[in-house]
Amino acid sequence: MKFSANWIAELAPGLTVPPHELGALITTKTAECEGTEAYAPFLDHVRLARVVDVRPVEGSKNVYAAIDAGPLGRKNVVCGAPNCRAGILTAWVMPGAELKGGRVIGKAVVSGLESEGMLAAGDEIGVNREHEGILEFSEGAPGDPLPGISPDHIIEIDNKSLTHRPDLWGHLGMAREVAAITGLALRDPVPPVEWAGEPPLRVEIENYELCPRYSALVFENVTIAPSPLWLQYRLESIGLNPISNIVDVTNLVMAELAQPTHAFDADLLKGGVIFVRLAKAGERVQALNEEEYTLDGQALVIADAGGAEAIAGVIGGRPTGIHAGTRRVVLESANFQAASIRRTSSRLKLRTDASMRFEKAQDPGNTVRALARCWELFRLVSPGIRLVGGLVDNAAPVTPPPAIRLDLDWLNRKIGRAVAREEVEKILRSLAFVVEPDGPGALAVTPPSWRATKDISIAEDLVEEIGRMIGYASIPPRAPLVPSEPPPASPEREYQYELRRMAAAQGFTEVYNYSFLSETLAERFGFPREEHIQVLNPIARDQGLLRVSLTPRIVQNIEDNARHMDSFRLFETGNEIHKRAGSEDGLPEEIPHLAAAIFAKEGDGQAGLFELKRLAEILAPGVKVSAATGVRCFEHPRRVWTLESHGETVGRVFELHPSWCEHGRGAILDLDLAALFRLRPEPVKHKPLRRFPVSEFDLSVITGVRVEVGAVGSLLLRAGDESWLGVEFVGQYMGAPLALDEKSLSFRVTVGAADHTLSAGEITAARERAIAAVQAAGYQLRM
Amino acid sequence: MSLAATLQELKDSTAARIANASTLDELEAIRVETVGRKGVLAGAGKDMAKVAKEDRAAMGQLLNAVKSAIESALEERTNAFQAAALEARLDAEWMDLTAPAPGVQPGALHPVTQVQRYLEEVFTSMGFTVLSGPEVETEFHNFDALNIPPSHPARDMQDTFWLEGGHLLRTHTSPVQVRGMKRLGAPLRMIAPGRVFRNEEVDPSHEHTFYQLEGMMVDREVSIAHMLYFMKTLLKEIFQREVAVRLRPGYFPFVEPGFELDIQCLLCGGAGCPVCKYTGWVELLPCGLVHPNVLRAGGIDPGQWNGFAFGLGLTRLAMMRYGIDDIRLLQAGDLRFLNQFR
Ligand SMILES: [Zn+2]
Repeated sequence: MKFSANWIAELAPGLTVPPHELGALITTKTAECEGTEAYAPFLDHVRLARVVDVRPVEGSKNVYAAIDAGPLGRKNVVCGAPNCRAGILTAWVMPGAELKGGRVIGKAVVSGLESEGMLAAGDEIGVNREHEGILEFSEGAPGDPLPGISPDHIIEIDNKSLTHRPDLWGHLGMAREVAAITGLALRDPVPPVEWAGEPPLRVEIENYELCPRYSALVFENVTIAPSPLWLQYRLESIGLNPISNIVDVTNLVMAELAQPTHAFDADLLKGGVIFVRLAKAGERVQALNEEEYTLDGQALVIADAGGAEAIAGVIGGRPTGIHAGTRRVVLESANFQAASIRRTSSRLKLRTDASMRFEKAQDPGNTVRALARCWELFRLVSPGIRLVGGLVDNAAPVTPPPAIRLDLDWLNRKIGRAVAREEVEKILRSLAFVVEPDGPGALAVTPPSWRATKDISIAEDLVEEIGRMIGYASIPPRAPLVPSEPPPASPEREYQYELRRMAAAQGFTEVYNYSFLSETLAERFGFPREEHIQVLNPIARDQGLLRVSLTPRIVQNIEDNARHMDSFRLFETGNEIHKRAGSEDGLPEEIPHLAAAIFAKEGDGQAGLFELKRLAEILAPGVKVSAATGVRCFEHPRRVWTLESHGETVGRVFELHPSWCEHGRGAILDLDLAALFRLRPEPVKHKPLRRFPVSEFDLSVITGVRVEVGAVGSLLLRAGDESWLGVEFVGQYMGAPLALDEKSLSFRVTVGAADHTLSAGEITAARERAIAAVQAAGYQLRM
Repeated sequence: MSLAATLQELKDSTAARIANASTLDELEAIRVETVGRKGVLAGAGKDMAKVAKEDRAAMGQLLNAVKSAIESALEERTNAFQAAALEARLDAEWMDLTAPAPGVQPGALHPVTQVQRYLEEVFTSMGFTVLSGPEVETEFHNFDALNIPPSHPARDMQDTFWLEGGHLLRTHTSPVQVRGMKRLGAPLRMIAPGRVFRNEEVDPSHEHTFYQLEGMMVDREVSIAHMLYFMKTLLKEIFQREVAVRLRPGYFPFVEPGFELDIQCLLCGGAGCPVCKYTGWVELLPCGLVHPNVLRAGGIDPGQWNGFAFGLGLTRLAMMRYGIDDIRLLQAGDLRFLNQFR
């Protein structure tokens, strides 16, 4: 929202704070100022001048104008405007002025003639958006500054910080804040009006919840014309487009009082009744912005006997709008329910200056004030205009806001320092609160109607009013007095951190990936679309699903990084999001996973898979690898294993299918961190050191080439009794004298007893038991 | 030659041989030959019987003197050889540790992880517990419980990703406030770091996925002054120096009063520069006293308890700390970027 510093100063007379400081003051006490910028500073170099003589310039559309700039003398200016003619009072830009975009006006030679400065069109000096001709003024003397058009500053306030303040959507509200901050008195621009006469119009409100108040005036003998230039300038300076006198006044009043109004051409409204009702489903409105909107049954409309003529609080209709020939006007000033306007505006994707204001919950007490101010300005911009009858005002009975009890001791404890009762009262009154004593040590505080719609309803709201006005900088920081206890631990979070740290120590770099993936990607990985939760309003089509696996993005990480690096390791921890039936609040299950990947351009891939196995053993001690069933399309069918802990599947390790990883070998480890946390090892109970020596013997077992070390090892383990302390794989051998389809696997078995040294006989018995088991399984021993 | 002359001759010649020996083996041979059990001196001992009785004592002394002279010469020379041999071995074992260590270099934790971890430690040391909440949230927890009823304009401030089934991706970590209050009750000190989502187009300074850290303290007496103290202490820890802060009004429905907390620009010290848009202040975090409706939603009686809450932008903090100027780098998975944070 843009505020004119000049306008604020007019409403808070005596204001001397420079605009930049004003922006900073507003920031610290009221709402966030995003910046303060000079508007049309060059107007100091623009003066009224009368064209006294115009001569054509040969071979050019330009004319050579002699102008009278009063005390500044007579000048000659080359001008290309079609309306440049003797007698008009126009705007002369003096040499030395620097216009928008750094355009410096000087003495120039144009068409061989010396031009001293230039005559300006509206858009050249920020008065309006006209470029067809130079400005023409009806009042003022040559040499004077342009009447009502002087350099300004625009203070831009962040709309977000005005969300709760309906009153700050107009200059008067901001001027009230400024006056309260600086200790000045506020000047109310609304003239007192005694309304007399019968209402010339009937208003029927279907639902007072949706439309608590509808006020209107009817005017006749209206002349539609451009607004005075000062009015156009004021609108232009805050970013509103000047259109014509009547419409410009409604916009000016909206920017001043925050109350949107709408002008209908009275002769185009059918019947003498205005209906405020819900739209019929499918009802259409041709809007002022040249668009046609089809409404649902929840949109509020302003209708006449012929149907909906405006979308209430959002936009007016084109067929009944003001046009050049309008002679009679119905001026609507109404109040609508914020939620209803917000809903319609977001459903139609149509945010207007009016809807932005109404959805902040405007003050129903403001409708007639806006009419009074419009009426005053109409007389200025459309001489001869007459009011028809009296005020039209249909309103639900208003319950005045209840007083809020403010306990002063409580207030001091909330703020953290003492604030004198007098100061509290003064601050609240400066913001137009009504303050009465409420017993010793407390006040009864009634907010003004424009703060009562949404903003202020409880004592905490008053803490903010006092706090911001005394200045938060005046509150000395104080250490809280609270018992110091160690906080409850977060073991699962600590556990996950530990794992991440260990993965990094093993050479894996942590990546963060999005939680989204595309349907195409899910399909490519063979994850059924219906297992994913769908995003209803994705930011892009490739982000329409929530991930049920970290793998697709990890594969993408591999592809991306393989472009720059020959080998690398990376990992991510993040949540898989799975649909879950029957949970209490219907929320899905979020399962933390760790996915780690190794890529190498060279090699046969085995080293990478063993590294991932090592990582799994570091992160999940005791984890067991076994060949996986159910190979997925992106997995190498001979290189995919599941990982188990305590009999539960906790993860998977696999090499990417070669067709998914063309320029090298990529392998992925995927661990379920929730399961691992659940199954994490208990603290170990130590075993006493052995008092008696242990013995070892080696066995070499001849097997087929695809027999797994793990299978033979566990066969040996199972063969033993309590004296078997360990079976360790030593190595393997292939080659002569073994057959081509054979290999020899060597194991070292350690045996021992707690209470004696094993005898030679016992060791031989153990060895024979092992040999028997191996042979029973159909393997030969290599001697 | 007399025995005495023979011994003297043996002593001198042996000393010369020892001095000329070039290996330990040569020394050993000399030792065996001279002072060994079957050596020359042992033989001379046997000849003692032939020496006149009155000369025996002197001769015995001479014999011992020659023996010990040879032995000490041998020992000295042996030590010298061993020292030289050790020196040679050591010298031969020169190596170059400036060559890279075999095996992989350690990887890096993500910059946001590092900042988050650091903050969790700071908060834990200040008595805060660390909580998690779901990334997929109910409308109730993300909005209603935080005093943002349906159709509240504040819902526009947060572009929400809506999901099938009426749920949403949390737009802030604030829902964990209510979950935390329900779980732990009052008094309470908690933080909740985590991933949040906004339906926003991605550009160098905007992301639809980023990280926040929510904080909340609920106790009997909590004032703005307490919050200020706490924030100053916290920011001193974060930035490792005193930082000037200011509170200004900010609107967030779940706090009342609500504030934006600015820190004095660390770059220009408040004098004004492009980073602070020449205001001298940088907006850092929203905070405020917890709205009574939010305490109620968390099952806590606002007549008995009150508190403050704040939200820290972890992503933003990480960008400030590491001088990262493009937010998209954080989620791009590019190891050339991420490996810098080892
Ligand atoms: Zn700065």
